[in-house]
Amino acid sequence: MKGLIARARRVPSWQLTLAAALLVLGFLMVAQAGAQPSLVQYTTQERPPLVATATELQQQQDDLKAQILALRAQIEQLEASSAGNSALVTSLNDQLEQARLAAGFIDLQGPGVVVQLEDSTQPIPPGAAPGDYLVSSSDIRAVVDELWLDGAEAIAVNGERITATSGMTDIGSSILLNGAYLQPPYQIVAIGPRDLYTRMTTSASFAQYVKARVEGFGIRLGAGSLDKAVVPAYAGGVALTYARALPASPSPATSPGVAP
Amino acid sequence: MRSRRAQLTIAIVALLLGFLSIVQLRAQAGGVGLANLTSQDLTTLIANLNQRNGQLSAEVDTLRTQARDLQQARSLGVSAVGGLREDLASIRLWAGLDPVTGRGVTVDCTGPMSADAANDLINELRLAGAEALAIDGVRVVASTVVAGPPGALSVENVALGSSFQVSAIGNSINLTAALTRVGGIVSQLQVTSPNVQLAVSPENSLVLPATDRSLIPADARPRL
Repeated sequence: MKGLIARARRVPSWQLTLAAALLVLGFLMVAQAGAQPSLVQYTTQERPPLVATATELQQQQDDLKAQILALRAQIEQLEASSAGNSALVTSLNDQLEQARLAAGFIDLQGPGVVVQLEDSTQPIPPGAAPGDYLVSSSDIRAVVDELWLDGAEAIAVNGERITATSGMTDIGSSILLNGAYLQPPYQIVAIGPRDLYTRMTTSASFAQYVKARVEGFGIRLGAGSLDKAVVPAYAGGVALTYARALPASPSPATSPGVAP
Repeated sequence: MRSRRAQLTIAIVALLLGFLSIVQLRAQAGGVGLANLTSQDLTTLIANLNQRNGQLSAEVDTLRTQARDLQQARSLGVSAVGGLREDLASIRLWAGLDPVTGRGVTVDCTGPMSADAANDLINELRLAGAEALAIDGVRVVASTVVAGPPGALSVENVALGSSFQVSAIGNSINLTAALTRVGGIVSQLQVTSPNVQLAVSPENSLVLPATDRSLIPADARPRL
């Protein structure tokens, strides 16, 4: 043993560095080789164009969302500095600010919670349904609903703000929320009362969920309290095609919600 | 001399290492999820993305017009109060702060329905494009969740009886089709809870109340 240490001391340090680097290199090469099969899967004729189209549409969606956020910010500025009866303009802008907050058009921050959900890594027993070992939209909805019941004020999943019209569904082993394609790991961020984390972790329905999905199928769930949780604004359309204001609405509704 | 050769070797290895790390990271970040999708899922995804992008692009057009009108009013020194009022009304309507009317569907739910099933129903209606929702006269907003044991459900602290009605404003054909399709929520419930009945009927004119919630965050602040 002593001889070994003495011998190791005689080895120049650059050789050790090189050995360590080669070790990492070997590891990366194996990892790279392991990652290849997923790319080799595109052997059928139809897949590559489908993947390319979906990727392109996702990029287009990101671009459109960025445009919506930028235009909303521009409109907010123009409205705040618009001409007219100044008392009325100020009052309308105050009301607009409140309405935007209520609608989810504004980035929020505050005390909150983050919950991360990932697919199970447990071996799937013979006869079991593999889908049960993946995070589904029901899992995400269960956690989101739990957080609302615990008093959350704003929630986003992987940066997608949950609004009154947000629906969630499964697509393959991933999910669609607000028409956006989300992949695991799913991070659910909620802003709410300071004790939101305690409320969630001590709730009977949450314990039931953990028992069923985490203990039952090995769905990986991590959760933590945040001093400064950030929930981004909703970057989507608000056009209404079927819904209109009531004719005698008490609000300053002068025109129905006209859809494009 | 030997140390220079050593340095050179290490430099080359480090270069390779860096290159491979980036390749590896790229491979993991790019389209792993898409690569896992079947052709059928990809087609569904493309249809969804197309539809959503169409809506987003229409919103961009609306907002551009709105911004241009505001700019014009400002450069002319004209009052923009009308535009501000319209904007306020449309945001309030969408957010659920004002009552709303329009055609759509009602879903009469009878029997010991579970809270999960009720929340699934709301989710299905949202996915099918419902623009406004209410449960027994309680307007559904983002944070509205049905809770409680079957037969004793409640929503926003309002108890729901053994039967209750969900109203949804939107395209009644799409909404009905989404609920009654093969494998949809109505047929699922027929199998899992035969005592629960859902009756979907189209309505020409529904009136949904405004939410009772303030929706103004108390714990959250605008991020500056």
